[in-house]
Amino acid sequence: MVRIEHKRARLVVYIKDLKLEWAIESRYWRNPLLAVAGLALLPIILSGFPGLLTLFTTANIYAAIAIPLAWQMTGIGRLNFGPQLFLGIGGYTAALLNIHFGWPAWLTLPAVILAGLIFGLLLSRLTTIAKGLYFSLITLILPLIFLELTYYFTGIFKGETGLYGISNIIRLGSIRMSYVAAAYISLIVVLIFLYIVDKALRSRIGIYAAAINDDEDVANILGLNINKWKVICFVITSTMITVSGWFTAHYFGTFAGATYLPLTFMLKILLMVMVGGRGEIYGALVGAYFVIMLEKALAFMGPVNHVIFPLILLILLFTLPEGLYGLYRKHKNREYYPTIRVRKR
Amino acid sequence: MQFKLTNVTKRFGGLVAVNNVSFSIAKGEIVGLIGPNGAGKTTLMNVISGIMKPDEGRIEFDGTDISGRAPHEICHQGISRTFQIPRPFPDLTALLNVGVGALCGKHRPNMSLGDALLDASHCLEFVGLFAKRNVLARDLTLYELRALELARALSTTPKLIMIDEVMAGLNPGESVKAVKLIRKIIDEYHITVIWIEHVMKIIMEATDRVEVLHYGEIIGSGPPKEVVHDPRIIEAYLGEKIA
Repeated sequence: MVRIEHKRARLVVYIKDLKLEWAIESRYWRNPLLAVAGLALLPIILSGFPGLLTLFTTANIYAAIAIPLAWQMTGIGRLNFGPQLFLGIGGYTAALLNIHFGWPAWLTLPAVILAGLIFGLLLSRLTTIAKGLYFSLITLILPLIFLELTYYFTGIFKGETGLYGISNIIRLGSIRMSYVAAAYISLIVVLIFLYIVDKALRSRIGIYAAAINDDEDVANILGLNINKWKVICFVITSTMITVSGWFTAHYFGTFAGATYLPLTFMLKILLMVMVGGRGEIYGALVGAYFVIMLEKALAFMGPVNHVIFPLILLILLFTLPEGLYGLYRKHKNREYYPTIRVRKR
Repeated sequence: MQFKLTNVTKRFGGLVAVNNVSFSIAKGEIVGLIGPNGAGKTTLMNVISGIMKPDEGRIEFDGTDISGRAPHEICHQGISRTFQIPRPFPDLTALLNVGVGALCGKHRPNMSLGDALLDASHCLEFVGLFAKRNVLARDLTLYELRALELARALSTTPKLIMIDEVMAGLNPGESVKAVKLIRKIIDEYHITVIWIEHVMKIIMEATDRVEVLHYGEIIGSGPPKEVVHDPRIIEAYLGEKIA
Protein backbone atom coordinates (compact mmCIF):
# COMPACT_ATOMS: atom_id res chain seq x y z
CA MET A 1 0.00 0.00 0.00
CA VAL A 2 2.57 2.52 1.15
CA ARG A 3 6.19 1.89 0.30
CA ILE A 4 9.17 4.17 0.73
CA GLU A 5 12.50 3.73 -1.05
CA HIS A 6 15.68 5.71 -0.77
CA LYS A 7 18.31 5.27 -3.39
CA ARG A 8 20.63 7.50 -5.40
CA ALA A 9 19.74 10.59 -3.36
CA ARG A 10 16.08 10.22 -4.24
CA LEU A 11 13.21 9.51 -1.93
CA VAL A 12 10.45 7.57 -3.70
CA VAL A 13 7.10 7.09 -1.98
CA TYR A 14 4.50 4.71 -3.41
CA ILE A 15 0.95 5.26 -2.12
CA LYS A 16 -1.39 2.78 -3.81
CA ASP A 17 -0.74 3.69 -7.46
CA LEU A 18 0.61 7.18 -6.91
CA LYS A 19 4.34 7.57 -7.12
CA LEU A 20 5.97 10.63 -5.58
CA GLU A 21 9.63 11.27 -6.17
CA TRP A 22 11.67 13.82 -4.25
CA ALA A 23 15.33 14.61 -4.80
CA ILE A 24 17.37 15.07 -1.66
CA GLU A 25 20.10 17.55 -2.44
CA SER A 26 21.58 19.32 0.51
CA ARG A 27 23.04 22.19 -1.49
CA TYR A 28 19.52 23.44 -2.05
CA TRP A 29 18.91 23.73 1.67
CA ARG A 30 21.72 26.10 2.53
CA ASN A 31 20.05 29.39 1.58
CA PRO A 32 16.62 28.54 2.97
CA LEU A 33 18.16 27.32 6.23
CA LEU A 34 20.21 30.49 6.60
CA ALA A 35 17.13 32.63 5.96
CA VAL A 36 15.03 30.66 8.45
CA ALA A 37 17.80 30.86 11.07
CA GLY A 38 18.05 34.61 10.55
CA LEU A 39 14.31 35.06 10.87
CA ALA A 40 14.21 32.83 13.93
CA LEU A 41 16.73 34.99 15.73
CA LEU A 42 14.78 38.18 15.05
CA PRO A 43 12.12 37.87 17.79
CA ILE A 44 14.79 37.45 20.46
CA ILE A 45 16.79 40.40 19.14
CA LEU A 46 13.67 42.53 18.89
CA SER A 47 12.24 41.54 22.27
CA GLY A 48 13.44 44.83 23.72
CA PHE A 49 11.64 46.84 21.04
CA PRO A 50 7.93 46.09 21.24
CA GLY A 51 7.09 48.29 18.25
CA LEU A 52 9.47 46.42 15.97
CA LEU A 53 8.31 43.09 17.34
CA THR A 54 4.72 43.91 16.40
CA LEU A 55 5.97 45.02 13.02
CA PHE A 56 7.67 41.67 12.56
CA THR A 57 4.54 39.78 13.56
CA THR A 58 2.34 41.92 11.31
CA ALA A 59 4.74 41.30 8.42
CA ASN A 60 4.40 37.58 9.10
CA ILE A 61 0.61 37.83 9.12
CA TYR A 62 0.64 39.63 5.76
CA ALA A 63 3.09 37.09 4.38
CA ALA A 64 0.73 34.33 5.57
CA ILE A 65 -1.98 35.96 3.43
CA ALA A 66 0.25 36.67 0.45
CA ILE A 67 1.85 33.22 0.12
CA PRO A 68 -1.35 31.21 -0.49
CA LEU A 69 -2.66 34.09 -2.59
CA ALA A 70 0.35 33.73 -4.88
CA TRP A 71 -0.68 30.09 -5.49
CA GLN A 72 -4.31 31.03 -5.95
CA MET A 73 -3.45 33.59 -8.61
CA THR A 74 -2.31 30.91 -11.02
CA GLY A 75 -4.10 27.87 -9.66
CA ILE A 76 -7.63 28.97 -10.48
CA GLY A 77 -6.83 30.91 -13.64
CA ARG A 78 -8.78 33.94 -12.48
CA LEU A 79 -7.98 37.01 -10.45
CA ASN A 80 -9.54 36.87 -7.01
CA PHE A 81 -10.18 40.48 -5.96
CA GLY A 82 -11.52 39.62 -2.54
CA PRO A 83 -9.07 37.49 -0.57
CA GLN A 84 -9.81 39.45 2.58
CA LEU A 85 -13.24 37.80 2.77
CA PHE A 86 -11.63 34.70 4.27
CA LEU A 87 -9.54 36.85 6.56
CA GLY A 88 -12.78 38.28 7.88
CA ILE A 89 -14.39 34.86 8.20
CA GLY A 90 -11.42 33.51 10.16
CA GLY A 91 -11.16 36.53 12.40
CA TYR A 92 -14.84 36.72 13.25
CA THR A 93 -15.12 32.96 13.85
CA ALA A 94 -12.18 33.02 16.25
CA ALA A 95 -13.42 36.18 17.97
CA LEU A 96 -17.00 34.98 18.44
CA LEU A 97 -16.01 31.53 19.69
CA ASN A 98 -13.52 33.05 22.11
CA ILE A 99 -15.81 35.74 23.51
CA HIS A 100 -19.06 33.79 23.78
CA PHE A 101 -17.80 30.31 24.61
CA GLY A 102 -14.42 31.09 26.14
CA TRP A 103 -12.49 28.80 23.80
CA PRO A 104 -8.74 29.42 23.97
CA ALA A 105 -6.67 29.98 20.86
CA TRP A 106 -5.65 26.37 20.29
CA LEU A 107 -9.31 25.30 20.37
CA THR A 108 -10.59 27.97 18.00
CA LEU A 109 -7.93 26.97 15.44
CA PRO A 110 -9.65 23.73 14.31
CA ALA A 111 -13.01 25.55 14.26
CA VAL A 112 -11.51 28.28 12.08
CA ILE A 113 -10.00 25.72 9.72
CA LEU A 114 -13.39 24.01 9.48
CA ALA A 115 -15.10 27.34 8.75
CA GLY A 116 -12.51 28.07 6.07
CA LEU A 117 -13.06 24.67 4.45
CA ILE A 118 -16.86 25.04 4.49
CA PHE A 119 -16.92 28.55 3.06
CA GLY A 120 -14.18 27.68 0.59
CA LEU A 121 -16.24 24.77 -0.68
CA LEU A 122 -19.38 26.88 -0.87
CA LEU A 123 -17.66 29.62 -2.84
CA SER A 124 -15.57 27.31 -5.00
CA ARG A 125 -18.48 26.92 -7.39
CA LEU A 126 -17.63 30.44 -8.57
CA THR A 127 -14.35 29.24 -10.02
CA THR A 128 -16.11 26.79 -12.29
CA ILE A 129 -19.00 29.03 -13.31
CA ALA A 130 -17.63 32.55 -13.55
CA LYS A 131 -14.77 33.56 -15.80
CA GLY A 132 -12.48 36.53 -16.18
CA LEU A 133 -14.08 39.86 -15.47
CA TYR A 134 -17.20 38.43 -13.89
CA PHE A 135 -15.27 36.37 -11.38
CA SER A 136 -13.19 39.41 -10.43
CA LEU A 137 -16.30 41.55 -9.96
CA ILE A 138 -18.10 38.95 -7.86
CA THR A 139 -15.11 38.39 -5.60
CA LEU A 140 -14.66 42.15 -5.33
CA ILE A 141 -18.20 42.56 -4.00
CA LEU A 142 -18.30 39.61 -1.60
CA PRO A 143 -16.16 41.12 1.21
CA LEU A 144 -18.20 44.32 0.99
CA ILE A 145 -21.40 42.29 1.36
CA PHE A 146 -19.89 40.63 4.41
CA LEU A 147 -18.98 44.06 5.76
CA GLU A 148 -22.56 45.24 5.34
CA LEU A 149 -23.76 42.10 7.11
CA THR A 150 -21.52 42.90 10.06
CA TYR A 151 -23.05 46.36 10.22
CA TYR A 152 -26.58 44.99 9.92
CA PHE A 153 -26.20 42.39 12.66
CA THR A 154 -24.63 44.88 15.03
CA GLY A 155 -25.70 42.83 18.02
CA ILE A 156 -23.44 39.93 17.06
CA PHE A 157 -20.61 41.60 15.18
CA LYS A 158 -20.53 44.96 17.04
CA GLY A 159 -20.42 46.96 13.79
CA GLU A 160 -17.52 49.34 13.33
CA THR A 161 -16.03 48.97 16.77
CA GLY A 162 -15.63 45.30 16.29
CA LEU A 163 -15.19 42.56 18.84
CA TYR A 164 -12.68 43.11 21.62
CA GLY A 165 -11.31 41.22 24.56
CA ILE A 166 -10.09 38.24 22.58
CA SER A 167 -7.54 36.27 24.56
CA ASN A 168 -3.98 36.15 23.33
CA ILE A 169 -2.50 33.23 21.42
CA ILE A 170 -0.45 32.07 24.34
CA ARG A 171 -0.25 33.20 27.92
CA LEU A 172 3.19 33.02 29.49
CA GLY A 173 4.61 34.52 32.67
CA SER A 174 5.33 38.02 31.48
CA ILE A 175 3.66 40.00 28.73
CA ARG A 176 6.95 40.38 26.88
CA MET A 177 7.38 36.59 26.79
CA SER A 178 3.82 36.20 25.50
CA TYR A 179 4.48 38.57 22.62
CA VAL A 180 7.82 36.97 21.74
CA ALA A 181 6.10 33.59 21.76
CA ALA A 182 3.31 34.96 19.54
CA ALA A 183 5.99 36.27 17.15
CA TYR A 184 7.50 32.79 17.00
CA ILE A 185 4.08 31.25 16.35
CA SER A 186 3.49 33.68 13.49
CA LEU A 187 6.88 32.72 12.05
CA ILE A 188 6.00 29.03 12.34
CA VAL A 189 2.68 29.65 10.57
CA VAL A 190 4.46 31.45 7.72
CA LEU A 191 7.05 28.70 7.40
CA ILE A 192 4.39 25.98 7.35
CA PHE A 193 2.46 27.82 4.63
CA LEU A 194 5.66 28.40 2.68
CA TYR A 195 6.51 24.70 2.88
CA ILE A 196 3.03 23.56 1.81
CA VAL A 197 2.76 25.96 -1.11
CA ASP A 198 6.35 25.39 -2.23
CA LYS A 199 5.98 21.61 -2.23
CA ALA A 200 2.64 21.91 -4.05
CA LEU A 201 3.98 24.21 -6.74
CA ARG A 202 7.10 22.15 -7.32
CA SER A 203 5.11 19.00 -7.98
CA ARG A 204 2.56 18.06 -10.62
CA ILE A 205 0.05 20.35 -8.88
CA GLY A 206 2.22 23.28 -9.93
CA ILE A 207 2.16 22.10 -13.53
CA TYR A 208 -1.63 21.74 -13.36
CA ALA A 209 -1.85 25.29 -11.95
CA ALA A 210 0.30 26.65 -14.78
CA ALA A 211 -1.78 24.78 -17.38
CA ILE A 212 -5.07 26.04 -15.91
CA ASN A 213 -3.71 29.57 -15.81
CA ASP A 214 -2.49 29.54 -19.41
CA ASP A 215 -5.35 27.85 -21.21
CA GLU A 216 -8.10 26.05 -19.36
CA ASP A 217 -9.89 24.53 -22.31
CA VAL A 218 -6.75 23.03 -23.79
CA ALA A 219 -5.85 21.54 -20.41
CA ASN A 220 -9.36 20.06 -20.25
CA ILE A 221 -8.88 18.46 -23.66
CA LEU A 222 -5.54 17.02 -22.57
CA GLY A 223 -7.24 15.12 -19.80
CA LEU A 224 -6.86 17.44 -16.82
CA ASN A 225 -9.98 17.65 -14.65
CA ILE A 226 -9.88 21.41 -14.33
CA ASN A 227 -12.90 21.76 -12.08
CA LYS A 228 -11.44 19.38 -9.51
CA TRP A 229 -8.06 21.07 -9.41
CA LYS A 230 -9.49 24.59 -9.34
CA VAL A 231 -11.69 23.67 -6.39
CA ILE A 232 -8.77 22.02 -4.58
CA CYS A 233 -6.57 25.08 -5.06
CA PHE A 234 -9.30 27.50 -4.03
CA VAL A 235 -10.31 25.58 -0.90
CA ILE A 236 -6.76 25.01 0.35
CA THR A 237 -5.60 28.58 -0.22
CA SER A 238 -8.78 30.05 1.26
CA THR A 239 -8.34 27.90 4.36
CA MET A 240 -4.79 29.17 4.74
CA ILE A 241 -5.99 32.77 4.53
CA THR A 242 -8.65 31.95 7.12
CA VAL A 243 -5.94 30.71 9.49
CA SER A 244 -4.10 34.02 9.15
CA GLY A 245 -7.38 35.69 10.13
CA TRP A 246 -7.44 33.50 13.23
CA PHE A 247 -3.96 34.70 14.13
CA THR A 248 -4.87 38.34 13.58
CA ALA A 249 -7.86 38.13 15.91
CA HIS A 250 -5.92 36.49 18.71
CA TYR A 251 -2.78 38.61 18.38
CA PHE A 252 -4.35 42.05 18.35
CA GLY A 253 -7.10 41.16 20.81
CA THR A 254 -9.69 42.95 18.70
CA PHE A 255 -11.19 42.25 15.32
CA ALA A 256 -13.24 44.73 13.30
CA GLY A 257 -14.41 44.03 9.78
CA ALA A 258 -14.04 47.72 8.94
CA THR A 259 -10.26 47.37 9.16
CA TYR A 260 -9.83 44.30 7.06
CA LEU A 261 -12.75 44.00 4.68
CA PRO A 262 -12.86 47.25 2.66
CA LEU A 263 -11.04 47.82 -0.60
CA THR A 264 -8.06 49.66 0.87
CA PHE A 265 -6.84 46.55 2.62
CA MET A 266 -7.48 44.47 -0.48
CA LEU A 267 -5.27 46.82 -2.48
CA LYS A 268 -2.52 46.48 0.08
CA ILE A 269 -2.58 42.69 -0.08
CA LEU A 270 -2.70 42.57 -3.87
CA LEU A 271 0.09 45.11 -4.15
CA MET A 272 2.20 42.97 -1.83
CA VAL A 273 1.86 40.00 -4.14
CA MET A 274 2.37 42.08 -7.30
CA VAL A 275 5.38 44.04 -6.07
CA GLY A 276 7.02 40.88 -4.84
CA GLY A 277 6.60 39.13 -8.14
CA ARG A 278 3.24 38.06 -9.48
CA GLY A 279 2.51 34.51 -8.44
CA GLU A 280 5.93 33.84 -6.93
CA ILE A 281 5.73 32.53 -3.39
CA TYR A 282 9.15 33.72 -2.22
CA GLY A 283 8.32 36.99 -3.93
CA ALA A 284 5.14 37.16 -1.86
CA LEU A 285 7.20 36.82 1.32
CA VAL A 286 9.63 39.52 0.20
CA GLY A 287 6.75 41.73 -0.93
CA ALA A 288 4.99 41.47 2.43
CA TYR A 289 8.10 42.40 4.39
CA PHE A 290 8.93 45.19 1.95
CA VAL A 291 5.47 46.76 2.14
CA ILE A 292 5.47 46.66 5.95
CA MET A 293 8.92 48.18 6.21
CA LEU A 294 8.08 50.84 3.64
CA GLU A 295 4.95 51.80 5.53
CA LYS A 296 6.91 52.13 8.76
CA ALA A 297 9.76 54.01 7.10
CA LEU A 298 7.43 56.56 5.54
CA ALA A 299 5.49 57.16 8.75
CA PHE A 300 7.63 60.17 9.65
CA MET A 301 6.23 62.13 6.72
CA GLY A 302 2.84 62.61 8.25
CA PRO A 303 -0.32 62.77 6.13
CA VAL A 304 1.67 62.87 2.86
CA ASN A 305 2.47 59.24 3.66
CA HIS A 306 -0.91 58.20 2.25
CA VAL A 307 0.07 59.53 -1.18
CA ILE A 308 3.75 58.65 -1.29
CA PHE A 309 3.32 55.06 -0.12
CA PRO A 310 0.99 53.93 -2.94
CA LEU A 311 2.99 56.06 -5.37
CA ILE A 312 6.21 54.21 -4.60
CA LEU A 313 4.42 50.87 -4.94
CA LEU A 314 2.95 51.91 -8.29
CA ILE A 315 6.36 52.99 -9.57
CA LEU A 316 7.81 49.64 -8.53
CA LEU A 317 4.92 47.85 -10.18
CA PHE A 318 5.60 49.53 -13.51
CA THR A 319 9.38 49.44 -13.49
CA LEU A 320 9.82 45.89 -12.25
CA PRO A 321 7.79 43.62 -14.51
CA GLU A 322 8.70 40.52 -12.54
CA GLY A 323 8.59 42.21 -9.16
CA LEU A 324 11.29 42.30 -6.54
CA TYR A 325 11.76 38.57 -6.89
CA GLY A 326 12.56 39.17 -10.55
CA LEU A 327 15.67 41.11 -9.53
CA TYR A 328 16.93 38.12 -7.58
CA ARG A 329 16.00 35.74 -10.35
CA LYS A 330 17.87 37.64 -13.01
CA HIS A 331 20.87 38.02 -10.76
CA LYS A 332 21.14 34.34 -9.91
CA ASN A 333 20.48 32.48 -13.11
CA ARG A 334 19.03 29.14 -12.15
CA GLU A 335 16.74 26.71 -13.90
CA TYR A 336 13.24 27.72 -13.05
CA TYR A 337 11.49 25.05 -15.08
CA PRO A 338 12.03 21.31 -14.58
CA THR A 339 14.05 19.83 -17.38
CA ILE A 340 15.65 16.63 -18.59
CA ARG A 341 19.43 16.59 -18.66
CA VAL A 342 21.31 14.58 -21.25
CA ARG A 343 24.80 13.35 -20.55
CA LYS A 344 27.00 14.24 -23.48
CA ARG A 345 29.49 11.59 -24.52
CA MET B 1 -16.57 -0.21 -35.61
CA GLN B 2 -14.30 1.70 -33.34
CA PHE B 3 -15.81 5.15 -33.75
CA LYS B 4 -19.37 5.88 -34.72
CA LEU B 5 -21.32 9.12 -35.12
CA THR B 6 -25.09 8.82 -35.38
CA ASN B 7 -27.24 11.81 -36.40
CA VAL B 8 -25.10 14.34 -34.62
CA THR B 9 -26.54 17.84 -34.76
CA LYS B 10 -25.20 21.07 -33.31
CA ARG B 11 -27.06 24.33 -33.46
CA PHE B 12 -25.96 27.82 -32.48
CA GLY B 13 -29.26 29.63 -32.09
CA GLY B 14 -30.79 29.50 -35.55
CA LEU B 15 -27.64 28.40 -37.35
CA VAL B 16 -27.23 24.68 -37.79
CA ALA B 17 -23.50 24.13 -37.88
CA VAL B 18 -23.55 20.35 -37.97
CA ASN B 19 -26.66 18.78 -39.46
CA ASN B 20 -27.43 15.11 -38.98
CA VAL B 21 -23.92 13.81 -39.50
CA SER B 22 -23.43 10.07 -39.38
CA PHE B 23 -20.41 8.04 -40.24
CA SER B 24 -18.29 5.36 -38.70
CA ILE B 25 -14.60 4.58 -38.68
CA ALA B 26 -12.91 1.24 -38.26
CA LYS B 27 -9.82 0.74 -36.17
CA GLY B 28 -6.66 1.86 -37.90
CA GLU B 29 -8.32 3.72 -40.77
CA ILE B 30 -7.14 7.09 -41.97
CA VAL B 31 -10.17 9.16 -42.79
CA GLY B 32 -9.96 12.57 -44.39
CA LEU B 33 -12.60 15.15 -43.57
CA ILE B 34 -12.82 17.75 -46.29
CA GLY B 35 -15.15 20.53 -47.20
CA PRO B 36 -15.14 24.22 -48.05
CA ASN B 37 -14.48 26.79 -45.36
CA GLY B 38 -17.37 27.15 -42.96
CA ALA B 39 -18.65 23.65 -43.58
CA GLY B 40 -18.55 22.75 -39.91
CA LYS B 41 -15.43 20.57 -39.76
CA THR B 42 -13.91 22.27 -36.73
CA THR B 43 -17.31 22.45 -35.03
CA LEU B 44 -17.68 18.72 -35.56
CA MET B 45 -14.25 18.23 -34.02
CA ASN B 46 -15.19 20.39 -31.06
CA VAL B 47 -18.33 18.32 -30.54
CA ILE B 48 -16.40 15.04 -30.73
CA SER B 49 -13.68 16.17 -28.34
CA GLY B 50 -16.22 17.40 -25.83
CA ILE B 51 -15.89 21.17 -25.71
CA MET B 52 -19.38 21.50 -27.12
CA LYS B 53 -22.27 19.17 -26.39
CA PRO B 54 -24.24 17.84 -29.36
CA ASP B 55 -27.88 18.87 -29.44
CA GLU B 56 -28.97 15.56 -30.92
CA GLY B 57 -27.28 12.32 -31.78
CA ARG B 58 -24.86 9.87 -30.32
CA ILE B 59 -21.12 9.48 -30.46
CA GLU B 60 -19.75 6.05 -29.67
CA PHE B 61 -16.15 5.09 -29.20
CA ASP B 62 -15.03 1.52 -28.53
CA GLY B 63 -18.58 0.66 -27.54
CA THR B 64 -18.98 3.41 -24.94
CA ASP B 65 -21.24 6.39 -25.43
CA ILE B 66 -19.20 9.58 -25.17
CA SER B 67 -21.68 12.16 -26.41
CA GLY B 68 -21.92 14.99 -23.93
CA ARG B 69 -19.18 13.81 -21.59
CA ALA B 70 -16.60 16.22 -20.20
CA PRO B 71 -13.50 16.78 -22.38
CA HIS B 72 -11.10 15.24 -19.91
CA GLU B 73 -13.14 12.04 -19.74
CA ILE B 74 -13.16 11.83 -23.54
CA CYS B 75 -9.39 12.20 -23.48
CA HIS B 76 -9.16 9.35 -21.00
CA GLN B 77 -11.21 7.21 -23.40
CA GLY B 78 -8.48 7.74 -26.00
CA ILE B 79 -9.43 10.62 -28.31
CA SER B 80 -6.94 13.41 -28.90
CA ARG B 81 -6.92 16.46 -31.12
CA THR B 82 -4.69 19.19 -32.44
CA PHE B 83 -5.70 22.77 -33.09
CA GLN B 84 -5.76 24.59 -36.38
CA ILE B 85 -4.17 27.69 -34.84
CA PRO B 86 -1.71 26.15 -32.40
CA ARG B 87 -2.69 26.65 -28.78
CA PRO B 88 0.30 25.81 -26.62
CA PHE B 89 0.67 26.90 -23.01
CA PRO B 90 2.70 30.03 -23.77
CA ASP B 91 4.46 30.43 -20.42
CA LEU B 92 5.62 26.83 -20.20
CA THR B 93 8.56 25.22 -21.94
CA ALA B 94 8.00 22.71 -24.75
CA LEU B 95 8.90 19.88 -22.38
CA LEU B 96 6.30 20.97 -19.84
CA ASN B 97 3.69 21.47 -22.56
CA VAL B 98 3.98 17.83 -23.53
CA GLY B 99 4.42 16.97 -19.86
CA VAL B 100 0.89 18.17 -19.12
CA GLY B 101 -0.42 15.67 -21.63
CA ALA B 102 1.77 12.89 -20.24
CA LEU B 103 0.64 13.61 -16.66
CA CYS B 104 -3.07 13.98 -17.26
CA GLY B 105 -3.76 12.08 -20.45
CA LYS B 106 -4.41 8.73 -18.97
CA HIS B 107 -4.56 7.23 -15.55
CA ARG B 108 -1.08 5.81 -15.19
CA PRO B 109 -0.14 4.03 -12.02
CA ASN B 110 3.33 4.46 -10.58
CA MET B 111 4.31 7.49 -12.57
CA SER B 112 6.15 10.27 -10.78
CA LEU B 113 6.71 13.72 -12.20
CA GLY B 114 10.17 12.74 -13.45
CA ASP B 115 8.80 9.67 -15.22
CA ALA B 116 6.11 11.78 -16.90
CA LEU B 117 8.69 14.27 -18.13
CA LEU B 118 10.74 11.35 -19.45
CA ASP B 119 7.71 10.16 -21.43
CA ALA B 120 7.23 13.73 -22.63
CA SER B 121 10.81 13.93 -23.82
CA HIS B 122 10.31 10.69 -25.77
CA CYS B 123 7.34 12.28 -27.55
CA LEU B 124 9.35 15.44 -28.22
CA GLU B 125 12.23 13.44 -29.60
CA PHE B 126 9.80 11.57 -31.85
CA VAL B 127 8.64 14.79 -33.49
CA GLY B 128 12.15 16.19 -33.53
CA LEU B 129 11.82 18.92 -30.90
CA PHE B 130 14.06 17.52 -28.19
CA ALA B 131 16.73 20.15 -28.79
CA LYS B 132 14.12 22.84 -28.06
CA ARG B 133 12.69 21.25 -24.97
CA ASN B 134 13.67 24.16 -22.72
CA VAL B 135 12.45 26.88 -25.06
CA LEU B 136 9.29 28.66 -23.93
CA ALA B 137 6.38 27.81 -26.19
CA ARG B 138 5.83 31.47 -27.02
CA ASP B 139 9.27 31.55 -28.65
CA LEU B 140 8.81 28.63 -31.04
CA THR B 141 8.31 28.99 -34.80
CA LEU B 142 5.07 27.94 -36.51
CA TYR B 143 6.33 24.59 -37.71
CA GLU B 144 7.70 23.83 -34.26
CA LEU B 145 4.36 24.79 -32.72
CA ARG B 146 2.56 22.39 -35.05
CA ALA B 147 5.04 19.64 -34.13
CA LEU B 148 4.47 20.51 -30.45
CA GLU B 149 0.71 20.13 -30.94
CA LEU B 150 1.28 16.67 -32.41
CA ALA B 151 3.67 15.69 -29.65
CA ARG B 152 1.21 16.85 -27.02
CA ALA B 153 -1.65 14.95 -28.63
CA LEU B 154 0.55 11.83 -28.79
CA SER B 155 1.60 12.05 -25.15
CA THR B 156 -1.95 11.27 -24.05
CA THR B 157 -1.59 7.84 -25.77
CA PRO B 158 -4.65 8.22 -27.97
CA LYS B 159 -6.45 5.53 -29.93
CA LEU B 160 -8.01 8.14 -32.24
CA ILE B 161 -6.30 11.36 -33.16
CA MET B 162 -7.94 14.27 -34.98
CA ILE B 163 -5.55 16.44 -36.94
CA ASP B 164 -6.83 19.87 -37.91
CA GLU B 165 -5.21 21.51 -40.94
CA VAL B 166 -1.53 21.00 -40.40
CA MET B 167 -0.50 22.62 -43.67
CA ALA B 168 -1.93 26.09 -43.16
CA GLY B 169 0.84 28.63 -43.08
CA LEU B 170 3.78 26.33 -43.72
CA ASN B 171 6.18 26.81 -46.62
CA PRO B 172 6.64 23.87 -49.06
CA GLY B 173 9.72 22.45 -47.34
CA GLU B 174 8.02 22.50 -43.96
CA SER B 175 4.82 20.97 -45.31
CA VAL B 176 6.78 18.03 -46.71
CA LYS B 177 8.36 17.56 -43.28
CA ALA B 178 4.96 17.78 -41.61
CA VAL B 179 3.42 15.12 -43.86
CA LYS B 180 6.43 12.85 -43.27
CA LEU B 181 5.98 13.34 -39.53
CA ILE B 182 2.33 12.37 -39.62
CA ARG B 183 3.11 9.33 -41.75
CA LYS B 184 5.76 8.38 -39.19
CA ILE B 185 3.18 8.66 -36.43
CA ILE B 186 0.68 6.53 -38.31
CA ASP B 187 3.29 3.89 -39.17
CA GLU B 188 4.71 3.71 -35.69
CA TYR B 189 1.60 3.92 -33.55
CA HIS B 190 -1.09 2.50 -35.89
CA ILE B 191 -3.73 4.82 -34.50
CA THR B 192 -6.94 5.84 -36.16
CA VAL B 193 -6.72 9.28 -37.74
CA ILE B 194 -9.33 11.83 -38.74
CA TRP B 195 -7.50 14.31 -40.91
CA ILE B 196 -9.01 17.67 -41.78
CA GLU B 197 -7.13 19.14 -44.69
CA HIS B 198 -7.56 21.43 -47.64
CA VAL B 199 -4.55 20.30 -49.66
CA MET B 200 -5.95 17.67 -52.03
CA LYS B 201 -2.60 16.12 -52.84
CA ILE B 202 -2.20 14.87 -49.30
CA ILE B 203 -5.78 13.68 -49.08
CA MET B 204 -5.30 11.62 -52.22
CA GLU B 205 -2.01 10.11 -51.08
CA ALA B 206 -2.37 9.63 -47.39
CA THR B 207 -6.00 8.81 -46.62
CA ASP B 208 -7.94 5.56 -47.06
CA ARG B 209 -11.32 7.21 -47.18
CA VAL B 210 -12.80 10.67 -47.35
CA GLU B 211 -15.92 12.26 -45.89
CA VAL B 212 -17.08 15.51 -47.44
CA LEU B 213 -18.87 18.10 -45.36
CA HIS B 214 -20.83 20.98 -46.86
CA TYR B 215 -23.00 23.37 -44.81
CA GLY B 216 -22.85 20.87 -41.98
CA GLU B 217 -24.04 17.83 -43.91
CA ILE B 218 -22.16 14.88 -45.32
CA ILE B 219 -22.57 15.08 -49.09
CA GLY B 220 -20.16 12.36 -50.09
CA SER B 221 -18.02 9.60 -48.75
CA GLY B 222 -15.71 7.00 -50.20
CA PRO B 223 -12.17 6.52 -51.51
CA PRO B 224 -10.52 9.83 -52.39
CA LYS B 225 -10.20 9.14 -56.11
CA GLU B 226 -13.96 8.64 -56.50
CA VAL B 227 -14.99 11.49 -54.27
CA VAL B 228 -12.84 14.04 -56.07
CA HIS B 229 -14.53 13.31 -59.42
CA ASP B 230 -18.09 13.47 -58.04
CA PRO B 231 -19.84 16.47 -59.64
CA ARG B 232 -21.77 17.41 -56.51
CA ILE B 233 -18.57 17.81 -54.55
CA ILE B 234 -16.88 19.82 -57.26
CA GLU B 235 -19.95 22.06 -57.27
CA ALA B 236 -19.68 22.49 -53.50
CA TYR B 237 -16.07 23.63 -53.73
CA LEU B 238 -15.96 25.53 -56.97
CA GLY B 239 -19.53 26.47 -57.84
CA GLU B 240 -22.14 25.32 -60.31
CA LYS B 241 -20.60 26.55 -63.55
CA ILE B 242 -17.47 24.45 -63.30
CA ALA B 243 -19.18 21.24 -62.17
